[in-house]
Amino acid sequence: MTNNDPKFEFDKPEMVENIISHYPDKRSAVLPLLHLAQSQEGFISSAVMRTIAQLVEAAPAEIADTVSFYTMLYTEPQGKFNLQVCQTLSCSLNGADELVDHICGEYKINPGETTEDGKFTLTKVECLGACGTAPVVQINNDYHEGLSIESLDKLLDSLE
Amino acid sequence: MPLLKIDDREIEVAAGTTVLDAALANDIEIPHYCYHPVLEIVGSCRMCMVEIEGMPKLQVSCNTRIGNALPDRKVDGMYDMVVSTKSDIVKRARENTLEFLLLNHPLDCPVCDQAGECFLQDYSFRYGRAHSRFEDEKRVRPAEDLGAGVVINQNRCIMCTRCVRFTREISGTGELFVQQRGNSTKISILEDKPLDNLLAGNVTDICPVGALLSKDYIHRNRIWNLDRQPSVCQECSVGCNVDIYHKNGKVFRTSARENLDVNGYFICDTGRYSYHDYEAVERVTSPMIRKDKKWQKISWDGAFKEIFEKLGRKKEGDSNNVAGIFSPFHTSEANFMFARLMQNVFKERAVIGTLPLPKEEEKKFPGGFRISGDCSPNWRGLTEVSSYIYEDIFNELKKQKIKLMYALDDGVNRELTQEWKDLLRNLDFLVVQTYAMTPLAERAHLLLPGAAPLEREGTLMNDSGRIQWLRPVIPLKGSSRPDWKIVMEVMNTVGKRELDYSHVNEVLAEMNERIPAYEGVTFFKLGESGMSINEEARES
Amino acid sequence: MSDFKPILTEHIHTENSHTLEFYRSVGGYSALEKVLKTMAPDDVTNEVKASNLRGRGGAGFSAGLKWGFIPKEGDKPKYLVCNADESEPGTFKDRLLMTKVPHQMLEGIIIASYAIQAQLAFVYIRGEFYSEYLILEQMIAEAKEASLLGKNILDSGYDLDVVIHRGAGAYICGEETGLLESLEGKRGWPRIKPPFPAIEGYLKSPTIVNNVETLANVPHIINRGADWFRAIGPEKGPGPKLFCISGRVKKPGVYEEPMGISLQDLIYDRAGGITKDRKLKAVFPGGSSSPILTAEETEDLKMDFSGLASVNSMLGSAGIIVMDETVNMVKACLNVARFYAHESCGQCTPCREGTSWLVKILTRLYDGNGTRRDIEMLLEITDNMGGLADFSLGSFGKTVCPFGEAVSWPVRSFIEKFENEFVACVNIGGAVV
Ligand SMILES: Cc1cc2nc3c(=O)[nH]c(=O)nc-3n(C[C@H](O)[C@H](O)[C@H](O)COP(=O)(O)O)c2cc1C
Ligand code: SF4
Ligand code: SF4
Ligand code: SF4
Ligand code: FES
Ligand code: FES
Repeated sequence: MTNNDPKFEFDKPEMVENIISHYPDKRSAVLPLLHLAQSQEGFISSAVMRTIAQLVEAAPAEIADTVSFYTMLYTEPQGKFNLQVCQTLSCSLNGADELVDHICGEYKINPGETTEDGKFTLTKVECLGACGTAPVVQINNDYHEGLSIESLDKLLDSLE
Repeated sequence: MPLLKIDDREIEVAAGTTVLDAALANDIEIPHYCYHPVLEIVGSCRMCMVEIEGMPKLQVSCNTRIGNALPDRKVDGMYDMVVSTKSDIVKRARENTLEFLLLNHPLDCPVCDQAGECFLQDYSFRYGRAHSRFEDEKRVRPAEDLGAGVVINQNRCIMCTRCVRFTREISGTGELFVQQRGNSTKISILEDKPLDNLLAGNVTDICPVGALLSKDYIHRNRIWNLDRQPSVCQECSVGCNVDIYHKNGKVFRTSARENLDVNGYFICDTGRYSYHDYEAVERVTSPMIRKDKKWQKISWDGAFKEIFEKLGRKKEGDSNNVAGIFSPFHTSEANFMFARLMQNVFKERAVIGTLPLPKEEEKKFPGGFRISGDCSPNWRGLTEVSSYIYEDIFNELKKQKIKLMYALDDGVNRELTQEWKDLLRNLDFLVVQTYAMTPLAERAHLLLPGAAPLEREGTLMNDSGRIQWLRPVIPLKGSSRPDWKIVMEVMNTVGKRELDYSHVNEVLAEMNERIPAYEGVTFFKLGESGMSINEEARES
Repeated sequence: MSDFKPILTEHIHTENSHTLEFYRSVGGYSALEKVLKTMAPDDVTNEVKASNLRGRGGAGFSAGLKWGFIPKEGDKPKYLVCNADESEPGTFKDRLLMTKVPHQMLEGIIIASYAIQAQLAFVYIRGEFYSEYLILEQMIAEAKEASLLGKNILDSGYDLDVVIHRGAGAYICGEETGLLESLEGKRGWPRIKPPFPAIEGYLKSPTIVNNVETLANVPHIINRGADWFRAIGPEKGPGPKLFCISGRVKKPGVYEEPMGISLQDLIYDRAGGITKDRKLKAVFPGGSSSPILTAEETEDLKMDFSGLASVNSMLGSAGIIVMDETVNMVKACLNVARFYAHESCGQCTPCREGTSWLVKILTRLYDGNGTRRDIEMLLEITDNMGGLADFSLGSFGKTVCPFGEAVSWPVRSFIEKFENEFVACVNIGGAVV
């Protein structure tokens, strides 16, 4: 990162202001601002961290500290569809391991990797809080529950 | 005040004191890593566990405060808290915490620079298990440069987060951060924002293991080979307390020495690395006189005779006055003797003052640490031992057309302005008492070799009026002499005195009589942490 | 007990039950009106105290007592946080409450905020719950519009704003002080206690953290009174309760029952029995942090705080995970341990180091490379991280937050109760699934 590095600016500055105004302390706006930035950019770049650091009057390293803690915040671009397969017990007991194996085989990727065309990223995640409808796969923001290999295939085929 | 029973001792403590603070203040050791007296309490290393009567679980002593128990809640009817730091349960808890800490620790003490002052080595020796039960491969991570001369050996880090809290709470610069979580956590910096603050070196002092190291010191020597001299930093008028590690006349490292009345627990990097400044200089180690534009060694007696000839006798001419240049870089004792020389020997011929004082902007840090804008260690002391003197004597010299000068040289860092250079060139005779060939010394007619900063002994008074004893770290070089002694001998020669103080203590004793601020100040009372001129204790 | 009618989930099957309009049509916000018009803040706290409503987030602490810890003096602002982080494996009840009857929770939030005189409240919802988040945002918009939030709520002179705050993927942010750190924009490292949040919480101000379900109970207590509430289920922890059943059962889901319902009823009646009518092998009764129970231990077991304490386990989040006879216990144990290793915040020594040590050993055992000594080490490591569930001196409290126990107790229980399967791994050279 040097000075001629790209700067990051929020598309909707009014939303930034609105978010910050919700909190008695600017620093509390860090997570919502990170979510907003990630929805705009697809991931959290160092330029994003610098911009947010400035907005909330923190050191950029403090923002990096926060970012690195949370699994939903990515510091690298992800595939267009992030297949987040729950692998915790209830899902595992209901076929989640097979779903992971299936995706790996079908798309020639390992967990943590993205297909060459950039369409799918496979991520193993922990309990998504929907164990009653296991196995669960979250794709970007949406939950897909009670999946079988067949219904997963159909679902993935339908994604464009 | 609550009454604490800790092991078999009874201690009265102020309400709100933590068990750990109470123990440490009473020389009871409770091993600890994450706790640091001026950093926020996080209670995360789990090393300082103690057993407290009536509590169902062990408690971290760093976060357990002692309060006044209600009368019917007192243990044995009298104690507000009863603590055991040595019970079997406590011992086992420590052993277990240490085992966890050592899981991924390389145990490379033979090549670690912290060895000898490492709390991991220390505690595992005293509180640990003999054998590791961890049979898997240890996590191996490369060492990384964090900036400001600090490197981190990730394998040795025990995640106490002292260093991170330091940059957030004390330096306020926030360069260090914790990256990732769980067993992947590590201390990190952003690539484009390395450690970059004047307090950065302190993280190497507060790291309880050998994870943070100063590049300056890595592998230069083993700590147990070195001698430690408690000393005082001379790089600004705060006068931070330091420990200087040295061997055979060579300095290897400076670290902060705790003094709550002066610097707390820290020092700045200017002070920390200043010893290198003295390594590079061209030393003056014997009296020298300029003959035909060349320096020639002469004997001390020859030098004193020369001073007597050139300064001692009244001469006809424009001005017969002698400029006496004091230095806030020298001890109060040297300046005191110089003041006596000027006032009592040269008397009305004396015009006294200093060179222009080096000033910078004062720097204050969020944790309260301060670096003074006055880059000299003893301006206050100087003003106490000498009555009115000109701060930057230039105009006075010009006005009075002064031709003779005797100067205590400030040191190596001073650059002279052209005006000053011209003025010095026109002097008839310039005596410079110095340890190095400074720009001032280069223009002298006679050089008297004094002590270098790390060779000096005597008192310094910092800018808040605290007098501290400066201990010499390394011996005098060549035929140089202590500065107060040189001045004394000039007094004897020029002023026909018979002073024969054999130790700087005797000069201080004389100051006790004559200088109000120094009344009652002795080497022993100053100890290793000094005393304030406002302290009442001194009167007794 | 069979005549019990759901209280919290009474309306979840009605279309649009999440709207304000619907909620009002079934009497919603009448409790709030009652509170604001007729009750002093302390009256509310006292009523909830009298109801003996115990926290539904895991620890089971009395809600009214907790509210009472908020200092009366001092000019620091007070905050209420609704814990909607729902990340305990096996738990998915708050999600249901939020998607189906969010206003019930909001009414509880407003009443609780009034009781502690907070002017600002947060709902900390786990980041993955995105559509739920949108529902909550809609809920807030509707409530503001109807003057149920903002300045001078229902003309009472009481002001309150509620902010929906999304997490970003971290189980530990369900722990209340980890949550507060996260809310402050930092990594979710739990804080050392004391001070407790009621004294120094969000931004060092007095803060109450309550679970979604806990708060959802509050309007009903206000409407029908503490006595009514205390009459539901056992005296020592009464009330309606949402039980989440997942794993190997025919009809997994959330079932609302009175506290104290039998576990057998839940598994075999409500959840329709074990998948493919297999035999029951083991159960997590209260999320994956509770020690597991064998099939025998589930017999005649009442699902309430004391019932589970009597078998050395806990009600926790009431997330029941059912394992049938075909489930390999070493594999299940490894799955659980891996979850905790992934979620350990990494702050304190025993948990940071211990969780991944456990995973290493369990992986080794599962792969057939383990030894008998490894099994002993598992017990020792869990002992050193979280201790024994018997609360003996020097046993628990070894970590900054209860996560240390949350991983140790279940892992220990696997080994203690199914040692033969671990030994078999050593003997046969790996787990046979
Ligand atoms: C590791 C850990 C995870 C937790 N996760 C949650 C959670 O996801 N949701 C929740 O409501 N409480 C959770 N808790 C409990 C909270 O710390 C806190 O006790 C609770 O939110 C208080 O609310 P209650 O009294 O209404 O139950 C967790 C506790 C621990 C130790
Ligand atoms: S580098 Fe040293 S001070 Fe920093 S966290 Fe690691 S052990 Fe602690
Ligand atoms: S602050 Fe001044 S006295 Fe202290 S270490 Fe720095 S230069 Fe030396
Ligand atoms: S017990 Fe685990 S989760 Fe809790 S603070 Fe310690 S490391 Fe973090
Ligand atoms: S275990 Fe997959 S959603 Fe809970
Ligand atoms: S010193 Fe007390 S827990 Fe680290």
